[in-house]
Amino acid sequence: MKSYYNIHTIWIALILLTLSTYAMGALGFSGLPIVIVLLLTAAIKGVLIISEFMELRGVSLLWRVIMYGWLWTVILTIAITYAITI
Amino acid sequence: MNTDIIDQEPKLLPGDLAIWFFIFMELLVFGIAFISYAVVRVQNEEMFNQFQLTLNTELGAINTIVLITSSYFVVRAVHTIKKHGDYIGCSRWLYAAVAGGGLFLVLKSFEYYDKFSAGISLSTNTFYMFYLSLTMFHFLHVILGMIILLAIAIKAQRGGYSASNHIGVESGASYWHMVDLVWIILFPLVYVMR
Repeated sequence: MKSYYNIHTIWIALILLTLSTYAMGALGFSGLPIVIVLLLTAAIKGVLIISEFMELRGVSLLWRVIMYGWLWTVILTIAITYAITI
Repeated sequence: MNTDIIDQEPKLLPGDLAIWFFIFMELLVFGIAFISYAVVRVQNEEMFNQFQLTLNTELGAINTIVLITSSYFVVRAVHTIKKHGDYIGCSRWLYAAVAGGGLFLVLKSFEYYDKFSAGISLSTNTFYMFYLSLTMFHFLHVILGMIILLAIAIKAQRGGYSASNHIGVESGASYWHMVDLVWIILFPLVYVMR
């Protein structure tokens, strides 16, 4: 019952995080600090989807390394390219 | 059954192992595409910033919420079959998820119509080449995901899954969450970050 409740909370959290991303774009925010906030928001959403929606919490370390490794490699590489240009 | 007991052994991956290899392959391709976008942007920052403003961020955000909600419906479908063995309830959640995917495609088609009407194509410039190819590649994955979910929903409706046999539902669910996960990065990267 507890985990069932958590799924609702995670759904709401994902929507709120999406709205915050949209708001930053709609308000015309730009620059490296904003890019970092947007990437961290995407990373948090990714972690929530991998651990809670995909139910990878508690699976063997190898699978978690692959999934979170993919997420953080993509996020960090994008961050580096924006840091170069901004 | 006490669900609070913490098992010493790691959990198995939900669904079939084969679908996970497929998911890892898909993520690798999308990951390379995202990094390519970011790297090419370094040399074309001004152009990317200029043409990014022509994208419909509202529709992009609505579509993100639609996909997240559709993924949530899939979670409910897995929960319904796994905990209660309710195959009819499971199929209803899956049909709702497929409808969510359909709504995503409709909204995305409006966006494409708007761009194509303005004469924009893959060859217009590098930004639009990335925008169109990344989102269309994802669009195709939404269609594939919907087909998978629809097949599972029909099987569930016919009683093909139960509390002890739901590996197919978990496999389809994992694929659909992957489609969602990819969009979670694509949306801020292409529509918002500048």
